[in-house]
Amino acid sequence: MSQRSDDAVQEFHYRLPYRASGQRPGSHPGTSLGSGQEFVSHMSLYDRPDPRRLDLRASVRSTTGDWLVRVNRQRVGVAVQLLVDVSASMNFGAQRSKLQVSADFVASLGHSAFRIGDALGMLAFDHRERPDLCMPATLSRGLGGVMADSLRGCDTTAGGIEGLEEAVMQLTGREALVFLVSDFHWPLDRLGAVLDLLSHTFVVPVVVWDPAEIEPPPHDAVAPLRDAESGVRRTLFLRPKLRAQWREGVAARRAELDAFFSARDLRAFYIHGAFDAEAMSQYFFEATA
Amino acid sequence: MNPFTDIDFTQPWALLLLPLAVLPLLRRRRDTLLFPHLAWLPHDRAGRIAGFAWRALAVLGLLSIVLALAGPGSPETSVTRTGRGAEILILMDRSRSMDAKMKPSDWRTIDPHSLLHQIDSRGEPKSAVARDLLSKFVDQRPDDRFALMFFSAGPMNVVSFTQHDAVVQAGIKAGGLGRGLSDTNVGRGLIAAIESFDQRAYSGSRIIMLVTDGGAHLDEPTRKRIRSGLQANRIALHWLYLRTLNAPELGDEASAGPPDAPGDDPASIEARNAWATQESIPEVSLHRYFQSLPTPYHLYQADSPEDLAKAVAEVGRQQNFPLDFQEQIPRQDHSRLFIALAVLCCTGLLIYRSMLLRSWL
Repeated sequence: MSQRSDDAVQEFHYRLPYRASGQRPGSHPGTSLGSGQEFVSHMSLYDRPDPRRLDLRASVRSTTGDWLVRVNRQRVGVAVQLLVDVSASMNFGAQRSKLQVSADFVASLGHSAFRIGDALGMLAFDHRERPDLCMPATLSRGLGGVMADSLRGCDTTAGGIEGLEEAVMQLTGREALVFLVSDFHWPLDRLGAVLDLLSHTFVVPVVVWDPAEIEPPPHDAVAPLRDAESGVRRTLFLRPKLRAQWREGVAARRAELDAFFSARDLRAFYIHGAFDAEAMSQYFFEATA
Repeated sequence: MNPFTDIDFTQPWALLLLPLAVLPLLRRRRDTLLFPHLAWLPHDRAGRIAGFAWRALAVLGLLSIVLALAGPGSPETSVTRTGRGAEILILMDRSRSMDAKMKPSDWRTIDPHSLLHQIDSRGEPKSAVARDLLSKFVDQRPDDRFALMFFSAGPMNVVSFTQHDAVVQAGIKAGGLGRGLSDTNVGRGLIAAIESFDQRAYSGSRIIMLVTDGGAHLDEPTRKRIRSGLQANRIALHWLYLRTLNAPELGDEASAGPPDAPGDDPASIEARNAWATQESIPEVSLHRYFQSLPTPYHLYQADSPEDLAKAVAEVGRQQNFPLDFQEQIPRQDHSRLFIALAVLCCTGLLIYRSMLLRSWL
């Protein structure tokens, strides 16, 4: 596990905000009964032959005279799935590319997921699914580092929502926690259908933006720009008016994303420049509260 | 005349570099900054113009540098100009006697005994007066072509034939510098003046204007050369004779031919002697020789500045014929223009570069 020496892997805490089904013990509230702390009801010892959990006081009080056994709910582990956009636009970044920042997040998630006992899998996409970066959900220490390294070293091409549509097919029908990591530089009209396919999962849209793209340079300059994906060129003469338009554009896009996700009871998590594990923990505290 | 009708290049091989001007049009990735998603940036007309302008400037700059290297220019041409007037060669005495003063205009009313002092105190140097008048003369005749030659012991060609009066004026002015030279050799001066007409197409009347204050005895070979030269080149001779005090007057007596008085009687001998005596005076001798020439000859005697002015005006009246001549226009180099253009373009590019955003950091 090769990590940057200057920043150790951060850990964050996450829980599913709703009960998940599943048999594997873990940390998320589950629907299955088992060895948990959460009391559900009493059952007859004959129905549930688990004498370890005999509740003598309840049995004495019982009118039927049955031996009653406490039935608790088991906390479950779920599969955590990463959907990472590795299109060319993710390779942009003034200091560190958005892909590097995403890799930081993936390393942190791998660490956190292992600590919490969740299996972690990854699917990557650009304009189509990237099988070379696909990793099935596995419970393994060090998996996050492997994923992060594969992301840091991957080559990028032009992206789009088609790749996401393709990748998301592998996740349909399985309950999971899905982190959708992208800069969302594609039209949102087809994202709705993708999110519908993931309706049985809890989707966390992680919006990775670089400070250089959301905040224009502070001084007046002529900026010859080239689109990372389409290669289209445009020269801008940066001046106060244009900077205001730039910021307006970013704010509008942000508002659009927020409106889109809140309509589906989701909330986007924004990463600007560097991943902050504390903020991610905070995000889940708010989501589960 | 349009200077761009025909252009020649001193180093045409440099034009092989012209394709280099296409280089700025190649779209290189290095010129641009990567941006993840252009769609959320505004469209900017000023930016588009800037993006176009630097390319145009670069192409133009390279083009002008290459063209400047090739050294464009309009080739040497000759233009036929028609002027009214004559080709006038001013042959001016530069000897020390010309520094002597002239008689003042009212010299006839002055007591002959005090005349010498009057001249010394009031007169102007002959050369100064002559230069003044000649300068005016040149000024008044813009159509004429002038040449200027000084002579003393030998001829000094100052200005060859030109219509650019400023040069002639400057030459005339330069004649006033310093003191006169020691000797006067009219013969050599005249021969040189005549020779300056050799090899020139006859395009109008030709005049040698001899401005001097003294004459000379010319030897026979010189006389022959002058006679044949004047005749061959069809040159009219005008002598502006600046008379000083005590200089001989070239009147009827001096102009008269040899007396037809053969025989031994005292009267004839006397007449022959008188003529020979006159002949011994250099001015008279020269005058008589000029009179004997087959070509036109005019004498203008000038005692005072006013006389000289009249004489000059007289010459002016006499010569007024149209005159055709070829003027050489030297090759004109236009590469400076292109260098200036290239400098402008490069300045523009530097300004653009100083405004360029080269990194997101």
